[in-house]
Parts: sequence; C-alpha cells; structure tokens
Amino acid sequence: MATEVLWWIFAVAIVATAAGVVFSRSVIHSAICLILSLAGVGAIYAFLMVEFLALTQFLIYGGAVTVLILLALMLTRVGATGLPDKVTGAQAPFAALVGLGLMATLIGVAVGTKWPNDIDDAPTNIPVEQISEVLFRDYGAPFVIASVVLLVALVGAIILARQEEGE
Amino acid sequence: MIEFPLGSEMFGIWNWADAAIRIVIVVLVMTIVAMYLIYGERKIVARFQQRLGPTRTGPAGLLQSFADAVKLISKEDIRPDGADRWVFEFAPYATFIPVFMTLCVLPFAADWGVRNLPLGMFFVFAVLGLNIVGVMMAGLGSGNKFALIGGVRAAAQMISYEIPLVLSLLSVSMIAGTLDLNEFAAKQGDYPFVILQPLAFIIFVTAMLSELHRAPFDIPVAESEIVGGYFVEYSGIRWSMFMLTEYAALWSFSVFGGIVFLGGWNFPMGNEWGWGWQLALTFIKSALFIFFIFWVRSTVPRLRIDQLMTFCWKILLPLSLVQVVANGFILVYDGPYWLLSLTSGVGAILLIAIIINRAFRRRTATTSLVGAYRGAQVSAQ
Repeated sequence: MATEVLWWIFAVAIVATAAGVVFSRSVIHSAICLILSLAGVGAIYAFLMVEFLALTQFLIYGGAVTVLILLALMLTRVGATGLPDKVTGAQAPFAALVGLGLMATLIGVAVGTKWPNDIDDAPTNIPVEQISEVLFRDYGAPFVIASVVLLVALVGAIILARQEEGE
Repeated sequence: MIEFPLGSEMFGIWNWADAAIRIVIVVLVMTIVAMYLIYGERKIVARFQQRLGPTRTGPAGLLQSFADAVKLISKEDIRPDGADRWVFEFAPYATFIPVFMTLCVLPFAADWGVRNLPLGMFFVFAVLGLNIVGVMMAGLGSGNKFALIGGVRAAAQMISYEIPLVLSLLSVSMIAGTLDLNEFAAKQGDYPFVILQPLAFIIFVTAMLSELHRAPFDIPVAESEIVGGYFVEYSGIRWSMFMLTEYAALWSFSVFGGIVFLGGWNFPMGNEWGWGWQLALTFIKSALFIFFIFWVRSTVPRLRIDQLMTFCWKILLPLSLVQVVANGFILVYDGPYWLLSLTSGVGAILLIAIIINRAFRRRTATTSLVGAYRGAQVSAQ
C-alpha cells in the first residue's frame, strides 16, 4: 500500500520534471529538471529493491552526465540565465513524430517482452557479487574492449579540444 | 531515508519511526558538531597565527557560534535582481542533501548508523557526485560573474579529484572484500587499513581536501581572487546553510576516512570496551582528521588551478591506478599482506618524494603570462 502511494508520487514527479525538461524556457531549468527526473528514476529503482541499479543511476546519470550537461551549457551559451530561448522551429513536427514514435516503441517493447526471472511481478534483487562475477569473469573480454573504446574516445576528445601554442 | 534490505517490513510504520528518530539524532549532533567546528577552526587557526581567536562570548568564546547563528538568522535574506529565483533559492539545500545522505550511511558505532547499507561505500560515491549540482546551481543562479567562475572551478576540481578519491577507496575495499562500511570497520580489529595502504591514505586525504575546498585547494572559494566564489551573493540564513553544509561535509568526510582507513569504531579495543568507547573512537579519529585539515590550512599557501590539475591527473591518478593493479595481482595470487604494505609504502614514499622535488625545483625560465608579456616588452625596447 505504502509502496504504491510512494510509487505514484514519484511517477508523477518524474513525468512532471521530464515535461519541465522539454517545456522550460531556460536551459538551466531544463538541466535541473533533468537531474530531478533521473534521480526520481533512481528512487523508483530503490523501491524495486534493485540497489545496484539505483546507485548506478544516481552515480552515472544523476551526477556525471548532468554535470557534463551543465559544463557544456556554460561553455557554449552566453547569458543562459537571461533571455528565454526559442523552443520551436521548422523541425518541430518531425521532432514530435520521432519522440512519439520512440515512446510508443519503448512502451510496447517494455510491456510486451517476457522478462527473465519475472515470475509474479515481484522484483528480483541480484546481489552485487553475482553482477561482478558476470561482468569481470564471464564477460571479461567485452568489458575490457568496451573500456578501451571509451579510452579512445576520451583521448580523441582531448586531442580535438586541445589548442596547441600558435594554432 | 531509502532502505535497501529485502523484506516486507521495509515500509512498515515502525521502520519509518526508527529511521526518523535516528535521523533526528544524527542531524542534531551534526549541527552541534558543525557549530563547534567553526569555533574550533577559528581558535586553532588563531593559535597557528599567534592570535587568541574568539574569547568574549561565553567562557573562552565557547558560545561564539551560537551568537553568530542568531545574528545570521536575523539578517535580511537578500536576493540579487539578476538572480534566477528558484535556482538561487534552492541551491543551498541542494548542496546540503548529499552531505546529509552521506551521514545517513556512516556507522558511528558497531551496527549503529541511521541505516547500514550492504553497498555503503558505493552509496557514498554515488551521492558525492550529486554534491556538484548544488554548487553549480549556486554558481549559475546568482547572476554574478565571480559566482559563475567559482562554480566552474568547483565543478572542474571536484570532477577531477573524484577519480583518485574513488580509486584509492577502491584499492582498500579490494583488501576488505566488502563495500559495507560497518563490515569495513569490523575487519580492522587488529590493525587499521592505513598500515596496508599508506599510499591510498595519502591520496584519499589529498582528494578529500580538494572535494571539501579546503586550503591549499580552496581555489573555488578564494576570497582574494573571486571574493568568495559560488556563494558570494548569499546572505543570512542561506549563507549559514552553506556554512553548515561545509562543516557537516568536513565532519562526514572525516568520519568516513576514519572508518575506511583508521579502523572506525573497532581499532583499538572497540569490540571489547563497548559502545561508549566506540563512539569516542569515531569522534577522536574524526577530530584527528579535522585538526590535520586546519593545520594544513594555516600552513600551506593556495595552489594555482594548473598546478592543481597537473597534480591530480599526472601524479595522483597514475599512482592510484598502479596501486589498484598491484593490489589485484597480490590478492589474486594470495600474496602475503606485508607485500601490500610494501608496494603501497614504496608508492607513498615515491609520492612524497615527487611533492618535495616539485616544491624545491628551481624554475629556470618564467613561463607565466605576465612574465612572457614583460619579456616581450623588454626585447621590444
């Protein structure tokens, strides 16, 4: 009972802040709404008692990605707090089409799939030891390769961003 | 507070009541500790500078912080005209929430914290990441260039130093074999982990100074450069909220470091002498950390931002990575524990040698902007 009440509170909050991301006139408000929305999803994970996923959500999306967004905001826009930005343009109908299509696809897939371990709609908590076994032993090589890809991207970004003397 | 263990009593009324009582206790203790940390900092730094510090309010100035609090609460809460209203007003609370959440998972005595999570250390990492958001909100929402610069500096510094911080803690948790903070302390009954991992300890303390914006890493809040940084526009109750957050963060980091590296409530004799001694141990160890931080503050001058970043990315990060790899090899092949101490000790000596070498290295040519400008002027004449 209490869980359902909390679930609805957070669900409404997530949708409201997600709408705030799209409809807010100031980019900073959008970014803050995004943080709140992602943190709300993390809280939902916590209610489902998938603790590792919840903390990863906080760590990766709540913290790192949004900070990168804020940094990008500050580096690219001037006077971001001031004038409201124009949110609609000639591409608006196409953007709406893509957004609605993506939403329909995701909801359809999420509802239609028979997920493994989904017996009686009760959440299954996989201990973090088991996750790390799978990640570092069974799929060790793909994990390392993925990290190498990330490293290459990082080095590439530094090379692109770096300005040599006299350039 | 979110609680993770499985079971149907998770949302029961008694569980909520229990959590609420524990949170109230922790928040009250935190407030008093933060007030006396402000007093303590003023006294200790004054002594380092051959002054007396506060002496007038109460015996030996002990009531100074309460007087300050009354003054701050009664002060007008000013909001600048150019500020972004909601962002500006909620920024102090946004910085406070992560610190408060960190305090909620720390075990102050055996099995006594607000909640003990099986992934406690990971929770601390996750929450620390959110700390930057409030600082950035204050910097962006103030409508002030100095606040903006302070916010950007704080974000860059905190993101950079989070990596060596997390890696150094990771190398300790590899040895402990757990992420549960209570278990962390429980495993240090015979000796604290600082003996096994001195390098990780030094890296942790350095990164902690940086995360807390304490000297010599107080570049985001440098008074002489950017008049106080991201909270320059705040006054009254909101400013005191920032102060409370700062000192609460100082305390929670010290307790956390004490649990991870110095044995927390368990070393020495924590299990034998009961919970009173355990609480005392927690407070003594955090006091040691805090005294060290104040000592560093009154001794070391502020660094430049490029020195700060160079030190993080070129020295601390490689050393902490090497330590994680070395620990991995030793632990997988069941090496003896003295080998861990040896490798980490060599690394610690190397780090100290690098710092001393850099401090004493004589610069042969000026490379600073002003120096180059003056040099060009001289050669033009």
